[in-house]
Amino acid sequence: MEDYEAKVGEIGLEKVLGMAVKRGASYADVHFQSYDNEMIAVENRVLESYSSRKLCGVGIRTSVKGAMGYASTSDLSQASLERTLGNAIKAAKAIKGKKETFPEIKINRAKVKSPGKINPVDISPEEKVSIALDANKAAWISDKIKSAQTRLGLSKDFRWFMSSEGAKITVETTLVGLMHTSIAEAGGVMEWVPHSESKCAGFEFIKSEDWNTFTVGLSKLAVEAVNSKTPPAGTYSVVVDPDVIGVLLHEAFGHASEGDLVSTGESVLSSKVGTKLADERVTIVDEGIVEGGYYCPYDDEGTRKERTVIVANGVLKSFIHDRESALQLDAKPTGNGRAQDFENLPIVRQTNYSMQAGDCKLEELIEDIDSGVYIRGKGLTGGEVEVGMGTFTFNVGPSKLIRRGKLAETVRGVVIGGSVLETLKTIDAVGEDSAVKTNVFGGCGKMGQRATVGFGGPHVRVRKMTVGGR
Amino acid sequence: MELAELAVKKALKLKATEAEAYVQRTKSVMVEFDQKIASFKTVESVGIGLRVALGKKIAMYSTSILNAKEVDEAVAKAVKIATAAPEDPDWKHLNKKFGKAPAEGYYDSKLESLDYQEIVGRLTSSVKLIGEYDKRVKPTRGVLYIAISNVAIANCYEESVERKETNVTVWMRTKIAVAGLESTGNEHQEARFWKEMAFEDLAVKAAEKAVKFLKAKPIPSGKTSLIMRNQIFANILGGLLGPPINADWVQKGRSPLANKLSTQIASESVTVVDDGLMKGGWGTKPFDDDGCPAQRTPVVEKGVLKNYLYDTYTALKANTKSTGNALRQAYWLKPSPAPTNLVLKPGDMKAEEMIRETKRGIYVDTTIGEWLSNPVSGNLNATISHGYLVKDGELKEPIKGVVISGNFYELLRKGMECVGKDLRNSAENYSPTVKLAEVTVAGE
Repeated sequence: MEDYEAKVGEIGLEKVLGMAVKRGASYADVHFQSYDNEMIAVENRVLESYSSRKLCGVGIRTSVKGAMGYASTSDLSQASLERTLGNAIKAAKAIKGKKETFPEIKINRAKVKSPGKINPVDISPEEKVSIALDANKAAWISDKIKSAQTRLGLSKDFRWFMSSEGAKITVETTLVGLMHTSIAEAGGVMEWVPHSESKCAGFEFIKSEDWNTFTVGLSKLAVEAVNSKTPPAGTYSVVVDPDVIGVLLHEAFGHASEGDLVSTGESVLSSKVGTKLADERVTIVDEGIVEGGYYCPYDDEGTRKERTVIVANGVLKSFIHDRESALQLDAKPTGNGRAQDFENLPIVRQTNYSMQAGDCKLEELIEDIDSGVYIRGKGLTGGEVEVGMGTFTFNVGPSKLIRRGKLAETVRGVVIGGSVLETLKTIDAVGEDSAVKTNVFGGCGKMGQRATVGFGGPHVRVRKMTVGGR
Repeated sequence: MELAELAVKKALKLKATEAEAYVQRTKSVMVEFDQKIASFKTVESVGIGLRVALGKKIAMYSTSILNAKEVDEAVAKAVKIATAAPEDPDWKHLNKKFGKAPAEGYYDSKLESLDYQEIVGRLTSSVKLIGEYDKRVKPTRGVLYIAISNVAIANCYEESVERKETNVTVWMRTKIAVAGLESTGNEHQEARFWKEMAFEDLAVKAAEKAVKFLKAKPIPSGKTSLIMRNQIFANILGGLLGPPINADWVQKGRSPLANKLSTQIASESVTVVDDGLMKGGWGTKPFDDDGCPAQRTPVVEKGVLKNYLYDTYTALKANTKSTGNALRQAYWLKPSPAPTNLVLKPGDMKAEEMIRETKRGIYVDTTIGEWLSNPVSGNLNATISHGYLVKDGELKEPIKGVVISGNFYELLRKGMECVGKDLRNSAENYSPTVKLAEVTVAGE
């Protein structure tokens, strides 16, 4: 076990805050981070790479005459810290025309840790490699499988935050998971089905799951996909599964509810608080600690993350904020100021963003659809959203057509697209099952920063969705 | 540099049979802006990526703490992981010969001394042009990113090599909301030199786009010809041709272009090169991340597939020579093949002429999600966020929310009606405007 606290003491970070104030900063905070990450990649039954990484450094934020400057370094010597502080002050001074100060927050002092028993960094490399190798070997279920990639990932993130206002918070988060992609070929058609499972937990999570069954399932789906057709292009009634609704909400709606995008007027939700956006069955929240999600009790500005209700029974209630966007919109910071790492400024980010469960069974959602598609997330390869208009596009996984209220054949190459506000309006039923997930292998990108988030929701029926295909 | 050599020596002492150290030092500036400057940050980051071999057992370890003690510990950890790793039967050896090609235009010394005030001044005056174009348009978000990076590579076979490069990226977004209608505009540029940056042009274009698309609508589903703006097709080319010509993809059974060398994969109008020596190119550099000299590699010549792109590992596995395409996405990741500058060779028609000669079709100005297209199946997917209907040789109604889908290889073979002359880049991908025939679009 590493003694992070001792390291922080050694480099004398508390002194930096004092120096900042002496040099004219009205506010300053210091971010120390020590991050360990391991990624074990197996491809086609061979260990492809074992990479292990340590990132450690300090970021300093200063406010001079209301303008915010930031600088960081991974050189922890006293001289380097002083130079970095100088850079932060110089950066703040380069900005003109801002004269505001942060809204007040409760000054927190806390020391917290995500749940977990076994530190994954301490597990022997042999054991970790063998789990990934075995899972990869299991995926070769037929000669139609042409390639199989498996990754075992783990990260341990220690963050130490201290501000000139007196806040002092340490958060330690452990995240582990396994990701697999099976590629199948038949009749000149190739399809890939990637999927992953991650959890904020110790290595016990990896030990408790049956990864061979997991990879076999993905291979079966890949084979099923290559043997299927793409759907006819058009607009349909669809049912989307929890994986898809989670990503869709996060990307197409969640970003639009981020205070910084609202305050500049970029978001489609900018002037819509109090407006009914969806059926009253739709409630959307962002919360810091939720089963299956990422562990976010405090943000990188020392604000406690409370449960934020964005949409209550179809009506837009509020946005998520860091201190800056809260100031701009005269709101309260909601604990959503998050930074990728010590090299980045906290910006408004979602934590665990999800739609709350309703009361329909999956069969009930499907039986009212005469001709439509059951949109599935397993094998989803990604999506993009233009936040300004709420236009989204996603490449989802192999899905199923719906005919006369029943699931019919599988379709591949399914792309969904549309405008999120229009899409929300046509939700007319919400499932009773809701699940939130997180991911050690990727995160959400914004302004060049990645952040680990959680997202999810129940099965949802949408009456109008554009589906691209043949 | 000394640390890199020290690390290699230390690894050999710990019984590693081979060792390599990759040291990266980056100084960067990032400025976020909307109507005013929102934030300004500077970052100094360093990192060392170690790769060690014990026979055919390989491991990587990296750290951002660059002192002798930490590097010593890092080497010990790398060796420990390698000891536990199963053998890679395809491992031959690290690159045994470093070399530098006479590449030009990848470093701008002006960026080293650029004053913070000058950066802020230039951005502020550019953003002003947006409101001057039309006061209803607001700059909603922009980011300027400047990076000066220094890479040094040392291994157990060679004297170390070093390179210094600069990159400047900017993107900006605008929005207009009038009487219940909303629309956006966005522009971006990636270049090596500060003097190439066209902030003012981008600002005006982003403003103009927002205004013109206020009344944009979807159109009915159907098949149509598409004229795609250079940067959009550059992204599609990079996303759909980049991975399948990667030797690693070919060797691992992921590439639909495996076994297709010397065959016609595209129409004769298609010639693509990977040009690591292109003057001022986004991916131009004297040597790759294995230390191999950069080069110019023909990829597709008049529609015929000529070469895959190799790094040292994949080249040795295939008994051929590296094409100088090793890239570490980050210092902590192992090198793998990737294009340097992937260039679709321009033809001789102007975009305006293409439009003039189109009776009915769509001009695609901007899409979202094109980079999500599937390089394994060749399925091209994108949603048009900004496009125009083309009728009788003229741009007409603005359109949006139209999903494009098709098979990239079929388009390359049968659908490339015309390749234009206006070469432009989206990061390392370079393309002129192109015209594609018979593409399926899904709208209302």
